[in-house]
Amino acid sequence: MNQPLKRIVIVGGGSAGWLTAGIIAAEHATNQDSGVEITLVESADVAPIGVGEGTWPSMRSTLQKMGISETEFLLECDASFKQGSKFTNWKTNANEHYYHPFTLPNGFNEINLSSYWQPFSDKISFADAVSEQSHLGAYGLAPKQITTAEYSFVANYGYHLDAGKFGQFLQKHCTVKLGVKHVIDHVTKINSSATADIASITTKKQGDIFGDLFIDCTGTSSLLLAQHYKIPFISKKHILFNDSAMAVHVPYENSDSPIASFTSSTAQTAGWIWDIGLPTRRGVGYTYSSAHISHDIAEEELRNYLVPSMGKDAAHSVMIRRIPLNPGHREKFWHKNCVAIGLAAGFIEPLEASALALVELSAKMISEQLPANRQTMDIIAKRFNDKFLHRWGNVVDFLKLHYVLSQRTDSAYWLDNKNEESIPKSLQQLISLWRYQPPYHYDATHTEEMFPPASFQYILYGMNFVTEPLAHKKRVSYADKADKLFNDNIKKTQKLLSILPTNREIINKIKKYGLPKI
Amino acid sequence: MTNSVLLNNIDHQNLKIITERSDTYGDNLWYAQTFPMEFKSVQAYYPIFFNKNPDTGKFFPLALFGFENKENLFLSDDKWTADYIPAMVARQPFLIGIQALNEGGIEKQQRMLNIDLDNPRVNQEQGESIFLEHGGSSPYLDKVADLLEAIHHGLNDSNDFINALNEHQLLESVTLDITLNDHSKNQMLGFYTINEEKLAELSSDILKLLHKKGYLQAIYMTIASQANVRKLISKKNARLGL
Repeated sequence: MNQPLKRIVIVGGGSAGWLTAGIIAAEHATNQDSGVEITLVESADVAPIGVGEGTWPSMRSTLQKMGISETEFLLECDASFKQGSKFTNWKTNANEHYYHPFTLPNGFNEINLSSYWQPFSDKISFADAVSEQSHLGAYGLAPKQITTAEYSFVANYGYHLDAGKFGQFLQKHCTVKLGVKHVIDHVTKINSSATADIASITTKKQGDIFGDLFIDCTGTSSLLLAQHYKIPFISKKHILFNDSAMAVHVPYENSDSPIASFTSSTAQTAGWIWDIGLPTRRGVGYTYSSAHISHDIAEEELRNYLVPSMGKDAAHSVMIRRIPLNPGHREKFWHKNCVAIGLAAGFIEPLEASALALVELSAKMISEQLPANRQTMDIIAKRFNDKFLHRWGNVVDFLKLHYVLSQRTDSAYWLDNKNEESIPKSLQQLISLWRYQPPYHYDATHTEEMFPPASFQYILYGMNFVTEPLAHKKRVSYADKADKLFNDNIKKTQKLLSILPTNREIINKIKKYGLPKI
Repeated sequence: MTNSVLLNNIDHQNLKIITERSDTYGDNLWYAQTFPMEFKSVQAYYPIFFNKNPDTGKFFPLALFGFENKENLFLSDDKWTADYIPAMVARQPFLIGIQALNEGGIEKQQRMLNIDLDNPRVNQEQGESIFLEHGGSSPYLDKVADLLEAIHHGLNDSNDFINALNEHQLLESVTLDITLNDHSKNQMLGFYTINEEKLAELSSDILKLLHKKGYLQAIYMTIASQANVRKLISKKNARLGL
């Protein structure tokens, strides 16, 4: 029990496995004598699912801590800059849109601008009034200049990337630079100890691999947590209906076509279509509820979406890949000496790209709280489970909010989404509260919330939600300060529009010159 | 804007170049690019810092002449008051053009002397002649050609110098606090200098390597040149009558 934890075995590659390996190996020495030994076992037979092409800004510090050059990452993973999401037709299906940018509303820590903006909601959108970033989105501009150092920004950003290439890139970095052992073999058996811990895994060719901590990154098969330990699955399908996806790669018209810097999400009759701009292609897909639309009609909707950019012939002949989704997560994520990360822990739906962010946060907590020995592991496991159950709850509430606020009535899907029985009590309460006070710091009940109060503001007010003004006056008004922030935003936006390159221009320059390190 | 053309002794036979130094001719420069091969001359008068090229993000060394845009404290009464003018300033209005040649099936690049016809120094009345009466190069043009040749090699070498500085993380950003005699304080941001802590940590092998290429000398001259900031402040005080 008091033996120090020395051997970590990660089962499964893909972006979850390699991100986890990299995050832990970046913090802990990996040499045999004075470090922890990290072994990643992946099967050559199992292809990673390879979706999840959007990241959060947290990915910048994750990569930087791993000692990765941002220039190399951008070029090798076919990555570009993502500044948030743009939602089209979610409100009324009248060709309207709103932005959820990564930048916090101006002065967010000192003043809640949303109440000062609300009286002008018919003149300017919330995002446009409180941040420069939605304007950058409208003009297709990059969040930095070629002189801006790696990982630094003019406007906050994450990435759009090719998930397959990302996994390979991380694999190379982890094995060459960070001392992670890579075993390519098929796991045939899981061997228990007397205390029902996992003692070792048996592989087809290389025998038994022993470990002190096993990390399950085996994707939806959840080999260790679900198959071995039988940890139950909690379905969220009654809340978030999308249980199917179709994905397609779309070529650009030419090599100079603009690269969108926001993930575009366009609502459909039974779900929504994502559209992600990488330097060499777009990644487009439809995630939908099979209870509300047949696969064939869904495919037709997706192909119709592609017609304006690809032409009719190409849109109707391009290969489409179908991916089943099972929205929900495991009842717990850390059991005994096994913890699941990524799809093995759960998946809701691609809206707001929380999948990779959850992987980063999970690996970060495991790394920072790495149990010294088996004795402390159960305490940390409980903390981990509590924290991540809360995080999944926060994700579910936040994603559901996008649907609940819609005024669409054109299909059963949108009507069913507003059915009270499909809305978690926690979210119902929050919405009742927000009718009379805007989300602010008290709404964040935990540190490092997945979706902080600022994100809730962007969705609520982007979707035309109304928070009633306060019935009484406060002793001190901050209206002057708010005015100043609104005016400063106009000035700052004007300046940025004149100095920032387009997303395409900066990618071309990075190819040619690279980004400076400082 | 520049209007750069290949120099030739037919179209440009009668052109003359004004060599005085003043605002009119674009000498009101805040700073100018320099390169290690002229650091010895530059560091005698000017502080040397680094900046990023806005088009490429690449660092380049510069000689500082003032504290804000269009301020050149070395310019007074149409004279440049230092004995050495950095080559990138002195070359005006000439520049190097690269011409692609096909020599026996092999693509080659050749350096050609170009002139910026829109530069206000270029005229037909006053200044130095470019060509002699029968079309030969004037002694002035010979000097310019030598200068451009030196610039060409100097800039190539400078790229290697910058790569070496980057590789060993020897650059860091710097904020210059300038207090004038009237106690007014100003800050100059956005420039970079040598990170002396990192320099002190370098192993003898790397120091030897830098020394061999002449870069160690360039690094120390850069550091020493910072003493010229004080002289620049004195000039600013004098200009403001403080």
